[in-house]
Amino acid sequence: MENLVIAGSGPAGLTAAVYAARADLNPLLFEGPTPGGQLIVSHEVENYPGFEGPLSGMELMDRFRKQAERFGTRFRSSIVDHVAKGAHLFKVQVGDEIVETRALIIATGAEARRLPIPSEKKYYGKGISGCATCDGFFYRDKKVIVVGGGNTAMEDAVFLTKFASKVTIVHRREYLRAAPIEVDKARKSPKIEWMIPWVVEEVLGKDFVTGARLKNTESGDSLEVECDGIFVAIGHDPKTEAFKDVAEIDEKGFIIVQPGSTKTSTPGVFACGDVCDREYKQAVVAAGQGCMAAMEAQRYLGVRE
Amino acid sequence: MSKVVEVTDRTFEQEVLRSELPTEVDFWAPWCAPCMMVSPIYDKLSEEYDNFKFCKINVDEHLEIARRYQVVSIPMQLFFVDGGKVDELLGAVPERVIRSKVEEVIQRFPTDERGRLKVILSSWIEHNKHDSDRFRKLTQRVHEIRNDAVYSALLKAASEMEQANERLSDLLSEL
Repeated sequence: MENLVIAGSGPAGLTAAVYAARADLNPLLFEGPTPGGQLIVSHEVENYPGFEGPLSGMELMDRFRKQAERFGTRFRSSIVDHVAKGAHLFKVQVGDEIVETRALIIATGAEARRLPIPSEKKYYGKGISGCATCDGFFYRDKKVIVVGGGNTAMEDAVFLTKFASKVTIVHRREYLRAAPIEVDKARKSPKIEWMIPWVVEEVLGKDFVTGARLKNTESGDSLEVECDGIFVAIGHDPKTEAFKDVAEIDEKGFIIVQPGSTKTSTPGVFACGDVCDREYKQAVVAAGQGCMAAMEAQRYLGVRE
Repeated sequence: MSKVVEVTDRTFEQEVLRSELPTEVDFWAPWCAPCMMVSPIYDKLSEEYDNFKFCKINVDEHLEIARRYQVVSIPMQLFFVDGGKVDELLGAVPERVIRSKVEEVIQRFPTDERGRLKVILSSWIEHNKHDSDRFRKLTQRVHEIRNDAVYSALLKAASEMEQANERLSDLLSEL
């Protein structure tokens, strides 16, 4: 029987692991499909306090992990498939195996949304990409589109100007969710063009992407543009599928936690980071919540013993 | 110890295209974080399979092969048999996905004598079956034209073909 199982290995899960391990809870952490979480594809993290940079997301998450390891966190590179409630315990299903635990911290984060058009599947990996840092390299002197108006979209667009001859940001509405500093960087680049308020209505191509048909969300006008790559950064959806039997979820798919706490609808189950964060979605916030979750789990386990 | 072979634009031909075993090539780069997830899986599988070869190529240093096979997204894994690409896997997929693709390729392209004969025989039988179905239809059309001599010769040929296929099926089941 485990004391504490942590699902997820982003800033929330790893911070929870650091605190839980230091409190001698001997946590077992399941890393999930993306060890390190969303940040690992970020080419530069400028706003994590204490790290003035330059620092890549991969480097930052590597440090998180080493710190959690240092205090004895046990890591498993598997994915939690389901969690069921037992009598004073939780049954965590991981592949064919069931791990029993007294307490659980859900820190599975969120995964990138895909472009909601039928041809997306056909062209994914053949011009459509969800990872600018991975694939930007293949678009030297080519034209690319970045879809989205958040921080990731702005950062991706600026990053892609290193390679591409032209980067067009396509966003559905005038309002940009991105931080002003990120928008400014993008605005200053002579290689970046803006298509606002437009959406990608269809991807054009044969075996590979050759262009896109855009639609103006206000006038309804259509326009075909040539491009070789389409980078998608239109937000993330929380990953909660495995936890539906132990935690209540709101209408947008986020795990509901009590205000100012990481407690879910089930005592002994805590949630932290982007899986329950409707508002901020920042590494430092996730880390803070990871700390809260570990301390609340510690209190819960202490009370029960 | 990992048996993954690091290939370059220069050694690709020898290591991959002329490989005697079915071969998987992992296209990766040091700045690609999802690629780092595939790498340990690859190391592990390479220790398990004697009848399959695992290679990787760093596209940051060796872009020519990636260009040739039109790789524009990594991590990308391409599967090669007898010098030709037969399958691919895109993205940082979990171990079980890579493993089942490897098993599938080994099944489709066996390297042992019995396995190879099986594949050849079954594809021949499949071909014959398809041809004899068509043959039957053509025979029917000759029947409508009412040329008895040609018609009976065709009937005979069709049944000989079916018999030949039965012999092949027997051979296959004896293997």
